[in-house]
Amino acid sequence: MKHWFKSGKPYIWLTAGAVSVSLIAVLGLLALIAWRGLSYFWPAAIHELEVKAHDGSTQIIIGEIYEREEVSIERLQEAGLAVSGNADEMLERWLLKIGNREYMPLDFMWVMAPQIVRHDTPQDLAVIERSKDGNFYGYIVDVLEHGQSIVGTAVLRDVLAERMQRAVQLNEQASALQQGAIGSINYQLNRLRLERRGLELEQQLTAADEQRIQEQQQELQQRYQELEQKLFSLREEANRDSLVVRDMRGMEVVIPMYRVLDVTYPNDMGLFGKLGHFFGQIGKFITEDPREANTEGGVFPAIFGTVFMVLLMSVIVTPFGVMAAIYLHEYAGKNAITKLIRIAVINLAGVPSIVYGVFGLGFFVYMVGGSLDQIFYPEALPSPTFGTPGVMWSAITLAILTLPVVIVSTEEGLSRIPSSLREGSLALGATKAETLWRIILPMASPAIMTGLILAVARAAGEVAPLMLVGVVKSAPMLPVDGNFPYFHLDRKFMHLGFHIYDVGFQSPNVEAARPLVYATSLLLVTVIIGLNLTAIGVRNHLREKYRSLEN
Amino acid sequence: MISVTPISSHTENLDLANLSADKTALAIRDLSLHYGEAQALYDISMKIPKHRVTAFIGPSGCGKSTLLRCINRMNDLVDNCRVAGEILLSDKNIYDKDVDVAALRRRVGMVFQRPNPFPKSIYENVVYGMRLQGVNDRRTLDEVVERSLKGAALWDEVKDRLNESAFGLSGGQQQRLVIARAIAIEPEVLLLDEPTSALDPISTLTIEELITELKEQFTVVIVTHNMQQAARVSDQTAFMYMGKLIEYADTNTLFTTPTQKQTEDYITGRYG
Repeated sequence: MKHWFKSGKPYIWLTAGAVSVSLIAVLGLLALIAWRGLSYFWPAAIHELEVKAHDGSTQIIIGEIYEREEVSIERLQEAGLAVSGNADEMLERWLLKIGNREYMPLDFMWVMAPQIVRHDTPQDLAVIERSKDGNFYGYIVDVLEHGQSIVGTAVLRDVLAERMQRAVQLNEQASALQQGAIGSINYQLNRLRLERRGLELEQQLTAADEQRIQEQQQELQQRYQELEQKLFSLREEANRDSLVVRDMRGMEVVIPMYRVLDVTYPNDMGLFGKLGHFFGQIGKFITEDPREANTEGGVFPAIFGTVFMVLLMSVIVTPFGVMAAIYLHEYAGKNAITKLIRIAVINLAGVPSIVYGVFGLGFFVYMVGGSLDQIFYPEALPSPTFGTPGVMWSAITLAILTLPVVIVSTEEGLSRIPSSLREGSLALGATKAETLWRIILPMASPAIMTGLILAVARAAGEVAPLMLVGVVKSAPMLPVDGNFPYFHLDRKFMHLGFHIYDVGFQSPNVEAARPLVYATSLLLVTVIIGLNLTAIGVRNHLREKYRSLEN
Repeated sequence: MISVTPISSHTENLDLANLSADKTALAIRDLSLHYGEAQALYDISMKIPKHRVTAFIGPSGCGKSTLLRCINRMNDLVDNCRVAGEILLSDKNIYDKDVDVAALRRRVGMVFQRPNPFPKSIYENVVYGMRLQGVNDRRTLDEVVERSLKGAALWDEVKDRLNESAFGLSGGQQQRLVIARAIAIEPEVLLLDEPTSALDPISTLTIEELITELKEQFTVVIVTHNMQQAARVSDQTAFMYMGKLIEYADTNTLFTTPTQKQTEDYITGRYG
C-alpha cells in the first residue's frame, strides 16, 4: 500500500477521476436536455381509456400519457380524493394531456391506474394541431364545405388532407400579406406622420409639404384598403371549410378549417412516418413564430434575436477590445498606472452581469438613448425611439460585459509574438504603427478570435442584464426586415435564454410548457455551440496561416 | 597564431585611422552607451570603409552586438538605453534629433542571429520593405524579388514557389531570404548580427560566400563569435573586450601580428 502511494499512481487516478466526473456532468447535462427536448417532437401514442369512478359511473378519456408516478394513498386522501385502502400502499397514477381546451376545464388530467377498465390505442384517433386553443384529440367524422358534408364516397383522410392544405395555403398567403405589404404600408404611414411632426416642430411645415404628405397618406390609405379587402377575402375563403370531430365526451364538435395547422394519426404511423413527423416538427419549431403566449409554435424570433444580438455585440466588442489591448501592451508605459488599469480590466470581468444590466439601463437607455431621442428623434416624442430598451443597447451592454475577456486574450496574444519579428520589420524601415498593422495584428488574430469565442460564449448565455436593456417576451417585429433602413436597432427582441425563463416560469400552462423549456434549452446550447464552432474554425484557419516560427 | 586562408580576395590594406571621407561609409566617434546605470560601450571611435566587410569579434558580452545595433538605432527599442557620442553616415550624425529613424533603417539594413521571416509568402517577405515605401506596382515588385533573391543566392531554389509560406524553407534558406529582404530596399550598409550562429555548416558556408559577393554593392558589417569566420569573410576586423575597442586593423594584420596582448590572447584561444 505504501509502495502504491509512493509510485504516484493514486494521483493519476485522482486526476483522471476529476476529468471523468466533469465529463459525466457535461455529457449527462447534454443527454438529459437532448432527451427531454427531443422527445417533445416525437409523435406520442394517443390512448383511449375507460375509467370507472368510485360511484360506478364510467368516463372515456382520450389523450397522450405525459407521466406515470406512484403516489401513496395517504397523500391522495389528504388531497381530498375518495380512495380507499391502506395509507401506506402506493397507487399508480397517470397524467394525461387531453387537450380540447375550450371544452375541458384543464388541458391535463390525472387518472388512477387501478380505475382503468379499458385501455386502447385506436388507429383512427387524430391529433388536430390548431393555431388557437392548443391540440384537439378525437375521431374525425366529417369535412364540411359551407356547412355541407363533402366526403360522400371518397376517403375521409384524403378529402381532409386536400382541404387542410388549401386552408394552410390561404392562411400563409394572408399572413404574408399582413406582414409584408400591409406591414410596409403601416411603416410608411408612421414615417409620414413622423416627418410631418418633425417639420411642424421645426416650424417649417409649408402648405406644399402638408399637401404632399396628405396626398401620400391618402394614396397609402387607399392601398391599405385594397390590401385589407384582399386579406378579408382570403380569410373568408379559408373559413369556407370546417371539420367535424367527435371528442371524448362523445359530442361532435365543429372546428373551422382555417384554425387547423396539422392533423396526424400517431397511432397509425409507422416508424418512418413518425420519423418524418419528428423532423417536420423540429423544422416547424425552428422556423415558426410562437403562439399562445409562447407555449405553442416555434421559436424563430428568439433564435434570430439571439444570433443577431451576439453578432452585433461581436462587431462592437472586437475593435474596442483590440484597440485597448494594443494601447496597454504596445504604447502604455510599463509603470504602476498601467498595472492598475490592467488589474481593473481583469476585475471588470468579475462584476455580476445584472450590474451591467442596471448600468446599461441607467446610462445607455435613459441617458444616451434619451439624449439621442431629444436630438435626432424629437418628432416621435413622447414615445421613445432609442430611449427605451432595444437590441442595440443590449449589444452594447454585453459588449462592455465581455470587453475584459477580449482585452486580456488579445494582450496575451500580443505578448506571445516573438520580438525578432518586430525587430525584423523595424529594421526594414517600418514604423511601429506599420509593424503593428502588417505583422503584429495578423499574428495576434488567433488570440483575438479566442477572446471573441469566450466573449460569444458568455454573451449568448446571458439573460439577466438583457431583461433590463431590451429583451421581451414577445416581439411583434424582427430587428431586421424589408423596410428601409432594414436594420432597426431600436427594436426590442426575443432571446432564447429569456424565452426559457418566460416559458418555464411565466407560462399560464406549466405542464404544457415544460417540454418546451427543454427543447428551447437544447436549441440555445446548439446555437451557442454553433457560434463557437464557427469562431473556432476561423481561429484554426488563422492559426495555421500565421503559425509562429518553431525553432 | 592561427593560420587562415581567406576565401575573399583581400584588397589592398587601408590606412584605417586616416581614411578619406569618400572611402568612409560610417564614422563612429566617442560612442558610449549605458543600459540604465551599467555602461556597455566605452568611447568607441572607428571608421568603417565603403564596400568592404568589417567584422566585430570578441567574447560574449563584449558589446559587439550592442555596437552593431547602434548603427541602425535598434537600441532605441530598449527602454533605459542612453547613447552618447556620434555615428556619421554620409557626414550626418544619425543620433541628431531631426533624423527619421525609419528612413535611417532603410539605409542601414540588418539581419539578425535567428532567421525571422514574416508569416507571409516568400514573395511578400521580399517585397515587405518596398510595400512600406508605397511601391505596389506588380512589375516593379517582380523585378525586385528576382534581383534580391538572386543577390541572396536563393532564386534558383525558390523561384517556383514564391507564393508559398516562408516557413516552409530550411533554416539556411530562411536566413538567405531575410538577407534578400534586407537588400531588396537597397540599403547602403548591411549589418549582420551573427547571421550563421543558428545554421548548419553547409548553410554557413553558403552565407559566407554570399557575404563576399554582397560587398560589391553594400558596405557589410558583421558580428561573429567565430574567429575563423571573421578571418574568412572580412577585410577588416575589430576586436572588442569589455565594451572597449581594443584593436581595429586589417584582418590579415590582426590575425597574424596583433599589437595588443588581449587580442593575441583571444585569437590564440586563451579566453573567450
